[in-house]
Amino acid sequence: MPETPSYKETELVLLLKQRTQTAFSYLYDNYSAALYGVVVSIVQDRELANDVLQEVFIKIWRQIDQYNPEKGKLYTWLINISRNASIDTLRSKSYNEQKQNQSLNPGVYTAAGTINIETDKIGIRKIIQNLKEEYKVLIELAYFQGYTQDEISKMLNIPLGTVKTRLRNALIQLREYLKR
Amino acid sequence: MDIRAYIQSGIIEQYVLGLADAGESAELEQLRAQYPELNEAILDFEESLEKIALNNAIQPPSFIKSALEKQLFQAETKTIAVVEKTFTDQQQPATVYNTGLWKYLAAASIILLVASTALNFYFYSGYKNSTQQYEALLSERNTLQANNVLYQQGLQMFQDSLMMHIPMPPLPGREQNFATVLWDQKSKSVYIYTANMQHVPKGKQYQLWAIVDGKPVSAGMIDSDCAGVCKLAAIDHAEAFAITLEKEGGSPTPTLTEMYVLGKIKA
Repeated sequence: MPETPSYKETELVLLLKQRTQTAFSYLYDNYSAALYGVVVSIVQDRELANDVLQEVFIKIWRQIDQYNPEKGKLYTWLINISRNASIDTLRSKSYNEQKQNQSLNPGVYTAAGTINIETDKIGIRKIIQNLKEEYKVLIELAYFQGYTQDEISKMLNIPLGTVKTRLRNALIQLREYLKR
Repeated sequence: MDIRAYIQSGIIEQYVLGLADAGESAELEQLRAQYPELNEAILDFEESLEKIALNNAIQPPSFIKSALEKQLFQAETKTIAVVEKTFTDQQQPATVYNTGLWKYLAAASIILLVASTALNFYFYSGYKNSTQQYEALLSERNTLQANNVLYQQGLQMFQDSLMMHIPMPPLPGREQNFATVLWDQKSKSVYIYTANMQHVPKGKQYQLWAIVDGKPVSAGMIDSDCAGVCKLAAIDHAEAFAITLEKEGGSPTPTLTEMYVLGKIKA
């Protein structure tokens, strides 16, 4: 567990924009474990997650000027960078070739046995285990595999409108579980 | 706008999780400035997401931080250097990761790429050289072949019984020059063979004259690149032929001081 940050987010952002090694060290010490958890829950492979986490921090470092506090909290921005980097890695061609259909195929998801048991117990992936199967699949495809609603509609052969409503309902349920 | 319904619609979760499209995001960003309760709800969900992340934190292996610090604070510029640095970090037995293999492979493929690029260059320049040499040889062969054809034609003309040979010996002071006129008695065409004439200075040209009834008539200009036997004008009858050196393009009357060779026709 990371220590309680002694900087406020706004202060940390200012420090990061100065690009000092101290600021980096602080950012890493306080956020790396949480972001590593997010990455592991998506890529489901520790060694791959090591590579992705490095990419995540390099992206944070290079893109900190693009962070806009009006659009969200720093943590949200960091989590989204982690999620995007993880999905990019999963979707990168070389990885696809290597892993073939093991985790990217939505059909495999329903065959619960093939999913890494440890990562099933992490974060949002753990929470969605409580959801209805049709909601679980949607969040898996949209959030964890990064497919657009249009792509999901084609993959599952469901009308786009249905995908939109169903995803919203799935997220409303997810929020209820998060509040508990 | 029913902001409560909007808040409950799932759009906040979609936005914060990065699942909203550009239009939905823009709408939400506009509305949150107008409705403080919407803004509150967004921050609320962001915080619960943050809590989830913190509760599910996993400590990453320690080599990652030092690898990043090396990459960000020592070698900003070169990716290759980064690959090497990340790799050295993993040489301690406790932190041998599969990722090392990828770094190895990446480094090896970069080296291979560089080597193959260098080889490509080497072979390409070799290929270019050979092509140039081949083309030079080809054009040399073509020139030789063309000259050969000319000489052959010249030889045939010399042997032609209808061809009158008029040797043109040099005039005093022009001893190094000699030329031959070949005069086709049937077509009256005049050919000239000037292989033994002095090199023509720049801006000058040899001109052949036929002496007809005691007066010189131009029989044409002799091209400086005339190899072998070259065809000039047709001359009906003449008593003699002569060559003078004239300005390029020729003169209406010969410059007698620049006469090099003269051949009289035996009656």
